[in-house]
Amino acid sequence: MTLLSVQDLSVAFGGVRALSDIGFAVGRGEIVGIIGPNGAGKTTLLNTISRLVPVSRGAIHFAGVPITHSSPTDVASLGLGRTFQTSRLFAGMTVLENVMTGLHLRMRSGPFAAAFRTKAMREEEQGAAEKAWEALRYVGMERFADRPATALSFGQQRVVEIARALIGEPVLVLLDEPAVGLSVNRLAELDALLRRINAERGVTLILIEHVLRLVMDVCHRVIVLNSGMKIAEGTPDQVVADPQVIEAYLGSGFDAERLAS
Amino acid sequence: MSIGRSMRLVFGNRQFLALLFALLAAMPALANPYVLFVCTLAMLYIVLATGLNILVGYAGQFALANAAMFGIGAYGTALLQVRLGLPYAAAAPGGAVLAMLIGTAITLPALRLSGIYLALSTLAFAMFSQWVLLHWNSVTFGAGGFAVPHLDLSPLPIGPDIGIYYLSWAVSLALVVFAWSLMRSRIGRAFVAVRDGEIAAQALGINLLRTKALAFAISGFYAGAAGALYAPLLGYVSPEGFDLFQMIIQKSMIVVGGMGSVVGSVIGAIVMVAVLEILREFKSTQEIVFGGLLIAFVVWRPRGIVAALQRMPGWDEPLSRYSRPRDIAPQPVPAVADRTSRSEVDSAALAAAERPR
Repeated sequence: MTLLSVQDLSVAFGGVRALSDIGFAVGRGEIVGIIGPNGAGKTTLLNTISRLVPVSRGAIHFAGVPITHSSPTDVASLGLGRTFQTSRLFAGMTVLENVMTGLHLRMRSGPFAAAFRTKAMREEEQGAAEKAWEALRYVGMERFADRPATALSFGQQRVVEIARALIGEPVLVLLDEPAVGLSVNRLAELDALLRRINAERGVTLILIEHVLRLVMDVCHRVIVLNSGMKIAEGTPDQVVADPQVIEAYLGSGFDAERLAS
Repeated sequence: MSIGRSMRLVFGNRQFLALLFALLAAMPALANPYVLFVCTLAMLYIVLATGLNILVGYAGQFALANAAMFGIGAYGTALLQVRLGLPYAAAAPGGAVLAMLIGTAITLPALRLSGIYLALSTLAFAMFSQWVLLHWNSVTFGAGGFAVPHLDLSPLPIGPDIGIYYLSWAVSLALVVFAWSLMRSRIGRAFVAVRDGEIAAQALGINLLRTKALAFAISGFYAGAAGALYAPLLGYVSPEGFDLFQMIIQKSMIVVGGMGSVVGSVIGAIVMVAVLEILREFKSTQEIVFGGLLIAFVVWRPRGIVAALQRMPGWDEPLSRYSRPRDIAPQPVPAVADRTSRSEVDSAALAAAERPR
């Protein structure tokens, strides 16, 4: 069943064409990788799907709803979560407060309930804190709950961002280079975490990644972008064997056999 | 562990505020009328600084209209009494709500702006409202201002000075507690999220315009409430009390006390009212000292006075934990290969230290 469909999508910034006629579909429960050289338009594609960048032409449907001209808040309330290329944790909050902020749409208390600390508000707040602990435990970061977000290492911040995106119970999460700057051990943890999120929670994932090992390992399907155009799509094995991809992205003389193994 | 914790004397933000307001409650028994007047002024500035800190410190909206909201609250309250003959009990909430409504309505078009543009557009609004107070003679009595009745609690055996003192005490305590509670809710988190990253906030479903408008409304209400106390305190309102210097006073309070901290607003208000009173004899030096303090704190103590208190173990203010050296996360345990190389480095360092000089 199709969860996200992108049709003939073009995005231009002034005269610069960032994306040209991109089309693909993502089914419920899939893990899809987006790869391509720097400047290929990968982040622009994620930003367009999460409605931070205006669409010039084409259409996007998410969960059966046209979102081509929706606001970021609207798509978030439809169940779209995301993380960013550079950590975007809120610097003035603790790790726990950051994750609790991910529950914004699932909480109801308004300013009056908050100011008077009504019983319903206190219970909701308590529940939110417990859920946030649970989400941090799920990603293995609970021991940092009371730390200021900025005290964490870069890699740790990325993982907390995943917890913050997950706590709102999204159906689709867009991850922009989750593995950047991770050590080998951490990479294996992230690999396992992404599989767990997908298998246990049924969350569909789209990830941009330069660490090909991760892409080859976790992704069911890979889309390759180059200069704003889709040049290939298929299983990881198909894609790295594609001569066009090897030429345009991986460079000539690349040993695809070794990578795929 | 639990016994040790319960036996240890905990001094945190709650204790600090409780002690302060208890002291203020006892003040009329201890102090002369002048000190009492200054304390009333301080409590009123606590309301102003807390409201401004919600907008600027927490929600990160650099607006300069707070002095105008303060003026609208004071004029609204006073005019409702003088022009329409309303009792203070109706005029005061009316003035505060008027400031909130005007503040929100005027800033709504400005909300699409940010940073310096927001500052300029709200400053323009402040100038405009100052002009209205000065020139709309038929309503505002113009530049000379007008007399306002003092607080009258006549059936009760309480004089106007003591009456306005305890009213200010109750209002400032309530509004500080409100602000505190707000910051421990999804609303407070939404404010800080908008301040620290609009893009990430939006991705979490936080509506930027609605959140900013709410911050403007709340801080407008706080400023209006302070204005509603100010009019009967002085028994007189005039436009010059709500000028740019008023804005600088309030701004320096939250910077000196601590941006993004409710307790910081309280501390800043008290400290700066004291400075203001000490310098009252040297009127022309007030602006210089305030400007100097503002710059000094921005440069050398950007987290304000409260940053020193926030280090205390009992202190658990929400949404104001910034990283300090001791919070830096422990590095992940290095892999085996790393560990050998580190022990080699360590032994080399040890050998170097033991080498006779």
